[in-house]
Amino acid sequence: MKGFMAAFFVWTLISANRDGGQAWPTHTVCEDGSLKILYQSCDPLQDFGFSVEQCSKYLKPNLNIRFGIILREDIKELFLDINLLTKGASILSYSYPVCEEDLPRFSFCGRRKGEQIYYAGPANNRGFEIPEGEYQVLLKLYNEKHSMVACANATVISS
Amino acid sequence: MMPPTRLAGTLIPAMAFLSCLRPESWDPCMQVVPNITYQCMELGLYKIPSNIPTSTKKLDLSFNPLRRLRSYSFSNFSELQVLDLSRCEIQIIEDDAFQGLKHLSTLILTGNPIQSLARGAFSGLSSLQTLVAVETNLASLEDFPIGHLKTLKKLNVAHNLINSFKLPEYFSNLPSLEHLDLSNNKIQNIYHKDLQVLHQMPPFKLSLDLSLNPLDFIQQSAFKEIKLHELTLRSNFNSTDAMKTCVQGLAGLKINRLVLGEFKNERTIKDLDKSALEGLCNLTIEEFRLTYLDDFSEDCIGFLNCLANVSAISLVSLYFNKLEGFPKDFQWQYLKLANSKFQYFPTLELASLKKFVFTDNKVLSPFTEVNLPNLEFLDLSRNGMFFKGCCSHRDLGTTRLKHLDLSFNDAITMSSNFLGLEQLEHLDFQHSSLKQANDFSVFLALKNLLYLDISYTNTHVIFHGIFDGLFSLQVLKMAGNSFQDNFLPNIFTNMQSLTVLDLSKCQLEQVSQVAFSSLPKLQLLNMSHNNLLFLDTLPYQPLHALRVLDCSFNRIVASKRQELQPFPSSLASLNLTRNDFACACEHLSFLQWFKDHRHLLVGAEQMLCVNPSDMEGVPVLSFRNSTCQMSKTIISVSVLTVLLVSVVAVLVYKFYFHLMLLAGCKRYGRGESTYDAFVIYSSQDEDWVRNELVKNLEEGVPPFQLCLHYRDFIPGVAIAANIIQEGFHKSRKVIVVVSQHFIQSRWCIFEYEIAQTWQFLSSHAGIIFIVLQKVEKTLLRQQVELYRLLSRNTYLEWEDSVLGRHIFWRRLRKALLDGKPKSAEGTEDAESSQHLATTPAWEGKPP
Repeated sequence: MKGFMAAFFVWTLISANRDGGQAWPTHTVCEDGSLKILYQSCDPLQDFGFSVEQCSKYLKPNLNIRFGIILREDIKELFLDINLLTKGASILSYSYPVCEEDLPRFSFCGRRKGEQIYYAGPANNRGFEIPEGEYQVLLKLYNEKHSMVACANATVISS
Repeated sequence: MMPPTRLAGTLIPAMAFLSCLRPESWDPCMQVVPNITYQCMELGLYKIPSNIPTSTKKLDLSFNPLRRLRSYSFSNFSELQVLDLSRCEIQIIEDDAFQGLKHLSTLILTGNPIQSLARGAFSGLSSLQTLVAVETNLASLEDFPIGHLKTLKKLNVAHNLINSFKLPEYFSNLPSLEHLDLSNNKIQNIYHKDLQVLHQMPPFKLSLDLSLNPLDFIQQSAFKEIKLHELTLRSNFNSTDAMKTCVQGLAGLKINRLVLGEFKNERTIKDLDKSALEGLCNLTIEEFRLTYLDDFSEDCIGFLNCLANVSAISLVSLYFNKLEGFPKDFQWQYLKLANSKFQYFPTLELASLKKFVFTDNKVLSPFTEVNLPNLEFLDLSRNGMFFKGCCSHRDLGTTRLKHLDLSFNDAITMSSNFLGLEQLEHLDFQHSSLKQANDFSVFLALKNLLYLDISYTNTHVIFHGIFDGLFSLQVLKMAGNSFQDNFLPNIFTNMQSLTVLDLSKCQLEQVSQVAFSSLPKLQLLNMSHNNLLFLDTLPYQPLHALRVLDCSFNRIVASKRQELQPFPSSLASLNLTRNDFACACEHLSFLQWFKDHRHLLVGAEQMLCVNPSDMEGVPVLSFRNSTCQMSKTIISVSVLTVLLVSVVAVLVYKFYFHLMLLAGCKRYGRGESTYDAFVIYSSQDEDWVRNELVKNLEEGVPPFQLCLHYRDFIPGVAIAANIIQEGFHKSRKVIVVVSQHFIQSRWCIFEYEIAQTWQFLSSHAGIIFIVLQKVEKTLLRQQVELYRLLSRNTYLEWEDSVLGRHIFWRRLRKALLDGKPKSAEGTEDAESSQHLATTPAWEGKPP
């Protein structure tokens, strides 16, 4: 897995120089019989790497995820916005402060532009079963200046 | 793994594309502030662009493959203050690379795989205050050529390969240094000799961050007599033993702030032992912070006894659920207990405590009384806790409280009106459910309160005295509540100092004209997300200091009155976005007002009409007045026309005969006839003839001349001769008044028969029947001819009703006018017609 991540970083670093007009490729996070998760970066500046430890529609609590990115912005504070859509209608909107300035929660908080983040750890979620259907998840990470840090358009297909 | 072919497929075109670029030939950098700030991030630049003005103060060259910084690379930019070279693939920095940058205060070298850093790399940076060299393959501070940077305040060398905490001698030459970030390096051991230089630095100035170093060992008394401002040790130890050793190694340290603990994603210590923190007893600490430690059982908190003389303590995310039994003589002034799964509210009795923050703990038990006699600041927000009674000095054991935050809790029952808490200045209840806030003037005693937030507290305002007593209040937030009948009454009396009022999401439909009549200092009023239907300026007129009014997200269709009264002249911003504007002509004056005040309106250009359907989505500003004026004239003209026509019609109807007369007074005459009609009637009906017939026809308009036997027959002539000479000869028409008596009268029948013959001879349709009363059929049958005529011809019937009579007279007049010859040429006509009537008609008619 680490090998893959390293290769991925090299690739993101190199391909970061490409023309921003093009869309980033779609990555497959996981695919098994009942669940398929795809994502695509919606940040014009860069692509990023993401994977989950387990691929089943029965999500276990505190699922382990891996996430790698090279920061284009400082993240003294970091916020995550999640927007869950199905059939074009928004069914859930959620905002979560990932990093705060006072006693930051995660070790990557406070990092600066140009630094690399590699997070491998629990996603702090509740365990639940993904109901059947196709979902679009829009994830946005932005900092205290509302500059985009990362953005992803994910598709979750549960059958 | 990525297939190598794909990698190559990406690489080759990318390189080909980049090699074609000549960045210097065009102007790639973005000018943020002209001549001052330039942004050249990620433009594929191989060298520093030459077309940037020399006056530039901030230059961002990050993510460009510069690779090598040669001497005097930046000599053109002598004014530069901030230089960002993050991720520039810089491997070599030559001597005097930054020479000439006398004003540079911030240099960022993050993410460059530096292999060769010349001894004189940073020479000439005489004003440098911040140097960031994160992720730069730095292996030791000793080799880092920064000893001459006397102005340096902040040195960040985190995430490098430094494995020794040996602070080089040159640190004594950096008297301004305040922050040294060595986090995420490879330091394992700290020895006494490493820190000797710290004795030569100013005391209590330096903040050290050693987080994420795999510390195993700190030599005893390594920190002895060292005076630091701050030391951060988070996620440093992978066992309790290592932690114990290292904390003991800190003995003798005098420090303003010590931060210990882990990160949520970097937890390594398992089964924390209570001995781990015992070493803290040997430190002199002003403020102590402990965060994110797993397995923190209650018996671990014995270390707090070591911290009896600390003035501030923060215990955040420690996952213990009970904290009890501190001796009263602890000197703590500030205590923060956050995100720590406390199930019970701790019983606290601390005489010294001034500030207590207890937040984000999911407390199951209700709030219990505390006895904190010197408490000034109390934050109990986000605990989901319920309060059986609130609030008086007895609940909190203090009369000095100035700041109270009970937001984001469960139900809070207002049982007391802040008795003994008159010093309160800041009070926050938002998103907690307030009970009984409406029953009495809860805030009556809070004459010093400046800030009150009761947003989303399920308060349904009925009692108008709810805010009585808040004489000093400056900010009142009460969004997300409701009012009786969705009507805002004047509940803001005596708030002479109020400057900010938030009434959004209160389901308001109406606002009292005097709702804001006593708020002379109000500057900001938020009325958004209500259900207001009309914009009414009257309630806002007393607000002489109002600057911002937000009425967005309502249902405002237009103004309430046709003419909108002016807003206070102080108003600088009015938000009316997301309303249901009706762009219809009926609201023309409002739409005109809208255009006239567009400078005041937030986002006026983006506001769209919602009604009527054909205007939906059209910008309000593009509504044209002329369309209205057009339709207005059309409407008024058509209404006027209709009115005129109907008046004329009525007049014509009413004065129909007058008009006839007027038009034909000279041209119409009786012709050769003396009379218009000869009336045949029974003398029994003479009353009716005299009173009704004569009166109406001879005195009405047009006047008809009737031939009546009692008046017009010449005496001394035989009746029959009179009938023929006077009656038939001289009359155009014959009126037969049919009644019971008529049938029975011999003379009448005689006259009628002559009339019939006369009609036959002169071929005039001249007989008009008036049936005065219903005649019995058997009686009528005796007069076969008359019966037949009546059943075949139209006759007039005398009616009893007013309308019936009106119609009767009209018909009769019309019948009488009919066949009246035209007078001018009419005389001749009449004469000839008479001839015709006498002679040729004879011949034409069958016998």
